[in-house]
Amino acid sequence: MNISIHGIGWLRKDAYGCIMKEKRSSYTDGGSVNARSGKDIFHYPFKNFGRLDTLSKATCRAVALALDDAGIGYSPGSKQDIGIIGTNTAGSLQSDVQYFKDYLESGRTLSRANLFIYTLPSSPLGEAAIYFGLQGPLLYATRRDKALAAIMAMAADMTFHDEASAMLAGMVEEDDAVFFVVMKGSDSGRSVLCNVDSAIEILNNTGTVPGIIKEFSNIKKGKSLR
Amino acid sequence: MPQKMEGGRVIPTVKAVVVASDMITPYGKGADVCRDGLFSGRTAISGLKRFNTKSFQSDQAATIDGLTYHQQDSLVIQMIRSLFDGTSAAIPEDANLILASTKGEIDLLEKNILEGTGDVSLCNLRGLLEKVSTLTGVKDPGTVVSAACASSATAVARAAAMIRSGRSDCVLVIACDSVTEFVYSGFSSLMAIDKSTAKPFDKNRNGLSLGEAAAFVLMMSETRAKREEREIMGEITGWGLSCDANHMTGPSRHAEGLVVSIKKALQSARINERAIGFIAAHGTGTVYNDAMEMKAFQAVFKDGKRPVYSIKGAIGHTMGATGLVEIIIALRALKEKMVPPTVNLQEADEAAHGWVSSEQCPVEKNKKALMTNAGFGGINAALILT
Repeated sequence: MNISIHGIGWLRKDAYGCIMKEKRSSYTDGGSVNARSGKDIFHYPFKNFGRLDTLSKATCRAVALALDDAGIGYSPGSKQDIGIIGTNTAGSLQSDVQYFKDYLESGRTLSRANLFIYTLPSSPLGEAAIYFGLQGPLLYATRRDKALAAIMAMAADMTFHDEASAMLAGMVEEDDAVFFVVMKGSDSGRSVLCNVDSAIEILNNTGTVPGIIKEFSNIKKGKSLR
Repeated sequence: MPQKMEGGRVIPTVKAVVVASDMITPYGKGADVCRDGLFSGRTAISGLKRFNTKSFQSDQAATIDGLTYHQQDSLVIQMIRSLFDGTSAAIPEDANLILASTKGEIDLLEKNILEGTGDVSLCNLRGLLEKVSTLTGVKDPGTVVSAACASSATAVARAAAMIRSGRSDCVLVIACDSVTEFVYSGFSSLMAIDKSTAKPFDKNRNGLSLGEAAAFVLMMSETRAKREEREIMGEITGWGLSCDANHMTGPSRHAEGLVVSIKKALQSARINERAIGFIAAHGTGTVYNDAMEMKAFQAVFKDGKRPVYSIKGAIGHTMGATGLVEIIIALRALKEKMVPPTVNLQEADEAAHGWVSSEQCPVEKNKKALMTNAGFGGINAALILT
């Protein structure tokens, strides 16, 4: 199947970057300290970014970097036929605990709706869909192991069967996040990093974000050298 | 891959069929019990005794009798165990497994936090998946799919895609969610619960009622189903998934996201809207959801009205399980050529007038069913059933 990876955005505790454009910024660099609020990552102001939960913030930042890496623009009010699939280890567990403890501390009378909305594993993807105007399929999926490889295969399948023009597939953990842009290779006229089958093979052997960054950066460097 | 090209598009040649199913709902165990309950017009929503509701919007919910709360097993495990107690159809051990849920064993997390014991880190969907995999006896460790209240429909769409693309010829889809203090307090904080009982598509609807359920469908390629001489209960003919990209908790008032889903589903099934005989709607009973759905139906079905019903006035909104229960009931309706009444409907909303009914309605011959779901995050799902 002629489905390819067109961009990858990543975040770590101390840095962020993208693969196709070979960019890497450290939070300790003078010019990128605003990255924590996302100001130098997003194309237009992200209203109420501060109210998002941790996973939603990381998801939106990683998606912004991935779309930029693939040369896909976005603007307020415009929507695109792009879908998003996300995975992680614990789902919304952190937000679940925060919501329920807050509810108990209130004497089991009032709970906070703005905490409750993040108690779905798909909520961070929903926040990304709203900001970036992603109108394609949206789902969270996970499995015991090799979850990112599995959702990459799902994204490839959905692209191949025209369920969306492009799919974002990614993983967001507490300190690390990575999102891939998956598209049909022949349709886009854009630069291609690698075939999706090669990507799935790498993800079957490399489950961590640092490992993923290293492997795909090597592919990009290999291409640049040619 | 078993498919052909047509007009530059990939056309699958494999059919994804349903060969077995079961459910446990607030009416009791089994699809027959649920079907009979729906056709009786009697709601299973009643006073909630599981936890204290005095601070909430309502004290009503649809729960399953006989489940124990905050004991060793979670509510959803008790429900799922009842589905695989040997009385249901045999599940092939080579089946792929997809589990659909929004909150899984959230009652175990409540228990751990309230009692200060246990390990909350185990209270996630992966943990539930391991337990479910063991209960069903399938070899596949499985995949969890969670897409808010469209989780079931999304899971079935993925299962059908796996079968159509030839990556699997047998997929077991299980869905579950339960009524817990966690979930009830959350929906109450969103002011989403009707003080009495949900009245989908009614002029005086004022919110949803929460419910709980677990269900499964066993899907196969038509080839394998025939080879194993399985009874074919229906086919997942097409699907469409989309997102409103509009608001976290409310649907788009213009319904464009659901319209996209329905059109994608029709395209996937290679049919036009005239082939649809009835609509198994999401129909939560909230003002905005039901208005949005009717707007979408009116936009797509310009050729005329057809029967629309919701089962949520009967068994409540069973969240991640709702789509799977609705699929099984819709397949029954196709077979019996009769759709159930919309329970609790007294006076149809103006937009729904002539579409919904408090009475059962006949279905035209040789027609297909459309099933729709929507959820937080603006998620929409539409399935075409034959």
